[in-house]
Amino acid sequence: MGSISKGQVHFLLLKIHSLTGLVPIGLFLTFHLLVNSLRTVGVLPYQWSIDVINNLPFLIWIEIFFIYIPLLFHSFMGIYITQVAKLNAIRYRYPRNWMYVLQRLTGAVVFVFLIYHMGTTVAPKIWNGHHLFEAAPFLIDVMNQEFATWTGRIIYLVGILSATFHFANGLWAFCISWGIIVGPRAQRNASIVFMLFGGALTVLGFATVLEFSLHPVDVVPTFKGAS
Amino acid sequence: MPDPKNIRLKIKRQDRPDTKPYWQEFNLPHKPLANVISCLMDIQMNPVTRQGQAVTPVVWECNCLEEVCGSCTMNINGKVRQACTALVDALPQPIVLEPMSKFPIVRDLQVDRNRMFENLKKVKAWIHIDGTYDIGEGPVIPEKQRAKAYLLSECMTCGCCLEACPQFTKDNDFMGASTFSQVRLFNMHPTGAMEQEERLEAVMGEGGIADCGNAQVCVEVCPKKIPLTESIAEIGRETTLQLLKNLFLK
Repeated sequence: MGSISKGQVHFLLLKIHSLTGLVPIGLFLTFHLLVNSLRTVGVLPYQWSIDVINNLPFLIWIEIFFIYIPLLFHSFMGIYITQVAKLNAIRYRYPRNWMYVLQRLTGAVVFVFLIYHMGTTVAPKIWNGHHLFEAAPFLIDVMNQEFATWTGRIIYLVGILSATFHFANGLWAFCISWGIIVGPRAQRNASIVFMLFGGALTVLGFATVLEFSLHPVDVVPTFKGAS
Repeated sequence: MPDPKNIRLKIKRQDRPDTKPYWQEFNLPHKPLANVISCLMDIQMNPVTRQGQAVTPVVWECNCLEEVCGSCTMNINGKVRQACTALVDALPQPIVLEPMSKFPIVRDLQVDRNRMFENLKKVKAWIHIDGTYDIGEGPVIPEKQRAKAYLLSECMTCGCCLEACPQFTKDNDFMGASTFSQVRLFNMHPTGAMEQEERLEAVMGEGGIADCGNAQVCVEVCPKKIPLTESIAEIGRETTLQLLKNLFLK
């Protein structure tokens, strides 16, 4: 397909880095925060949503191709991008230059946070064989423990805030990189709109943390008789 | 006590490209409407430091003295700008002069900005006017487009946008805002558009447009107020379309 020169591979990789931040990672983040905020609506819808997701057909393949591979690609390209730059926001103190620094910083924070987050949820779930039916009680129990201490709560608040900021600001950069938004006024307006969107995602995430911190769930099997 | 009638200059000097930099301070009598260039000229006439030590005169570059050539670009009090429009009365003292940090140093405040020229050559930042055959007269350009092109044509390749760019370093080959803006300028021109594809493909490699991290410091420091971030987004758009064309139409 097509004619892509050797030099353009670099260009293509950076473009894909930008794209993967939106699809599928950003989309997954939105979906993840939205579904988890069902916890604020009620325990039952929350528990059911987890069971439904964990019983999706070909879940492991969906996870590998739509989450893990894009996420790893985005992370390692991100590390490369950060390394070739030389931050100078102390000298040139402009708002967008601070955002540039924050984008790199939050990316690193999210990377570390995700290692922790997956280490306490996905890894033990698969390790203990709870990845199919009745994943919900197991995971809810994990989350109860996560939000029992202030350390856990702060880790999640920082992780969520970093992820939503990185996504909202990255969405703006995506629109510029792909040439969707061009003029200075359009760039400014888009930045405001995306930040409001990021704010809404943050509220969803924080509400879930708050609900868990205030009211830990009594873990019960989704179906009677299941373990 | 510092004398208000005196100008104090602190200059970062370097004798050769491969030697270590060092600092020297100079005191000069205040002259009305003095700029940094006139101060450097005064030092040249009497190169004696504040401590009374006779030294070699400070080397710097300048040409037009009216902020259209860009050759006197340097870091003044920590920020990059032209020395000719840096009026002494508007600057806090001591006035700290440093050469640009992103280009190889020739001597003192003089740097080698050849990288920018090489990049302009890579993107064919010109319009073909002749060849082995007559390509005829160019089409008429609409006034609005001419006005926009004029803004972009004011770029003097001074290097402020690159010096202030966190993505542009000595170790990488990022082309930077000024080059992308020139690609836009020459692609906008009806005759220049004949080489549009070559220009776009020249910025679609390593160090090209996709390396931009959108810190947008370039547009803040540009002395000619060129809409650089708009140019970057516009080239982002054109290269995206070129990529799709390369993938699906070729």
